[in-house]
This record gives sequence, structure tokens and C-alpha cells, in this order.
Amino acid sequence: MSKHQEVKTQASVANTGKAGVRYRQKALESFYEGFRAAGIDFAVFLPDSMLDGVEQLMIERGGIDTYQCSREDEGVAMAMGAFLVGKRPVALMEGSGIGMSALILARGIVQKTPTMLIIGHNSTLGERYDYHGATRLVAEPVLRALDIPHHVLFDPGDIRTVIVEAQATIEGQRLPFGVLVPSHVIREIGENR
Amino acid sequence: MNRTDVLRHITSLRNGDPMIISPGLANYAIAEADEPLTIYNMDMPYATPMALGMALGWSTRRVISIEGDGSLLAGPGVLSTIARYQPKNLLIFVFDNGAYLTTGSGKAPTATVFGTDIEQLGRAAGLKNTRTVHDLDAAKSAVSAAFTEPGPWLVVAKIDKQDRPTERRPHSLPMYVYEAGLIFHRAVLQERSAKK
Repeated sequence: MSKHQEVKTQASVANTGKAGVRYRQKALESFYEGFRAAGIDFAVFLPDSMLDGVEQLMIERGGIDTYQCSREDEGVAMAMGAFLVGKRPVALMEGSGIGMSALILARGIVQKTPTMLIIGHNSTLGERYDYHGATRLVAEPVLRALDIPHHVLFDPGDIRTVIVEAQATIEGQRLPFGVLVPSHVIREIGENR
Repeated sequence: MNRTDVLRHITSLRNGDPMIISPGLANYAIAEADEPLTIYNMDMPYATPMALGMALGWSTRRVISIEGDGSLLAGPGVLSTIARYQPKNLLIFVFDNGAYLTTGSGKAPTATVFGTDIEQLGRAAGLKNTRTVHDLDAAKSAVSAAFTEPGPWLVVAKIDKQDRPTERRPHSLPMYVYEAGLIFHRAVLQERSAKK
């Protein structure tokens, strides 16, 4: 665990989250394994309900220096700073955070300072709640507007490969890369929810 | 107090340390040294957040953020993140002239004119090593302390507005923004691999 990390972890990450919602433990493991396989060694996140299980697992398992920020665009800038000093960073956030981060992502493109982005929510699948309406509207359109390569996960079995190949694009093209995570990929959700 | 005098003291102690500079006139004074580990004209308010990522990612190297009052006030939440992790190698120097000096007439005041105290923002966030300095001797003393004692440091220098140029400055910085990431990153990798 990072020496900076003071966030308390929980014994079973799969049991965290909103009442009645369980994470897919295998999906959480796949994110962690993908990060490790891709050489990710620096993570920054703003807590969100969709990706909390991944973030807590990273803290629990260690091996990746993991930090919490106070705003998503601040976190993206931190990740880019880490890249500049030789780290392989990832920034995790809810989709709304991409809306906050348009300027710093643009700066990263211009000065060739990339980071991986793991993004909770997407534009089309599983957006059940009205209060995610604005979140749903900003993430993918901002990525498209900035011509940032991105991929919407569908099958949890793809997580590890997508992360490893996304990092290859990040390093080969020196561009940020967004991986969007619909709810069904990471949570056990019944059809009636 | 003149901004350039303080910056010259900082650059005399810098020893090639990584540095990120927010938009404004400080860029031109620092550019005289032409150090490769420099990011010029970082978009507001990202100089300090990016410097924080560097400091956390390279704990054996001092990392410096050069801020203006306007740019720090655009994203003060980062002070709480710095306080959370307390990176000993992070130095933040804020040049507070009470104005958005490089914009238009340069007359638009920042909130510090009306009582907002950047040092106290830092202290309220949880930073312990903070100073506000009003003259050059005090500034040199605070800067020297920041370079020799563990941080994180927040030094707020109250400077005058007399260095606003009367004519448009030429683009004389030693690198373009679109080169900056490549030059910086390459220099870091060379330095880090040489030390292995």
C-alpha cells in the first residue's frame, strides 16, 4: 500500500457500494490485473459510486501508488505531472469529471502529456437515474470533441485486454485514452433495477 | 517588491529542479535560465496540481510551482490535496499583485484586494509551512527556508504591479508548449536512468 495512503480499506470490496448493489468481483480483479499488466504505477481518483470498488481494491492490494484528489480536473493534472516524471498514470472518475477536465485534457494533447482515464457512466447503456443526465451528456462528447481515443466496455471479460491495449496507444501515440464503464460491466444489477 | 528580484533568488537556488509556471510575466524571467525541466505557461489553474503529481511521482526531487494569485484562486482545492499527502518535496511560490495583470488593461483586481488571504487558505487546508512576505529580504529568507527545510511549502510574495510591460512582449520562451512534454519527459527519463 502507498505510504501516502490513509484511506481505510474493507475486507470484501465486492460488498461495498449502495445498499442492494454488489460489484462483480471478477470485474474488479480484471481492472487491477489490467493496470498491473499495463505497467500502471500511479493512480488518482475522485470517489464515485461506479468505480469505488476498483479504487478500494487498488488500495487494498497495493503495488500502485493511489491518491485521492478534490476535483477531477485536478486529478487529471496530477496524473499528467506523474507521467512527466516517468510514471504510467491512470485517473479514475465519474463521467461528469471529463466535463470538468476538458481544458487540462486539451493541454495534455497539445504538449503530449497523456494519461489513461477510467470513466464511470457512458452515453447509452444503463443510465437509470435522472441525476446522471448531465453526467451522461458530457463524457463521450468531450472525448469526441478533443479526438481522444476511447472505448466503451461491454463484456467484463474484455477489461484486462482493453486496459493493456489502451496503454499501448497512450505510449505509442502520446495521447490520453478513455475507457468508459457502463454499470452492468462492474455491478451485479438485476433487470428490474 | 519586484517579482523579478524574487524569481532570480528562486532560480539561483533551483539547481535544475522541475518547475511549472502558471500564465503570466514570471515565465520570461525564469526562461533566462533555459532549464529543460520547465513547463511554461501552464493553463490556469493547473500548475500546482501538475506539480503535485510530479512531487508524488518523484519523491527524491524537489518540485516547484510558480503561481499567481489569480491562478491559485481558480483552483484552491488542490491545497487540501497537498495537505492530505504532505509531499516534503513540493514548493509553491505565489506572486500576489492583487490583479489579473496580464489581461486587457491589467486593472481587474483579484480577491486578495478585498481580503482573501492565500496563506490562510493554505493553513486552513492543512499546510503548516506557510509564509506571506512583503519585502525582498523577507522573501529571500522564506525562499531559502523552502529550499532547505522539508515541505510542502506555500510562500506568498506580495509584489507590486510595476512590471507590466508597456509593449507587447515577443514570444521569446525557449520552447513551445507543444514541445514541452517531450523535452521535459525525455530529460527526466535520461536523468532517472543515469542514476540507476
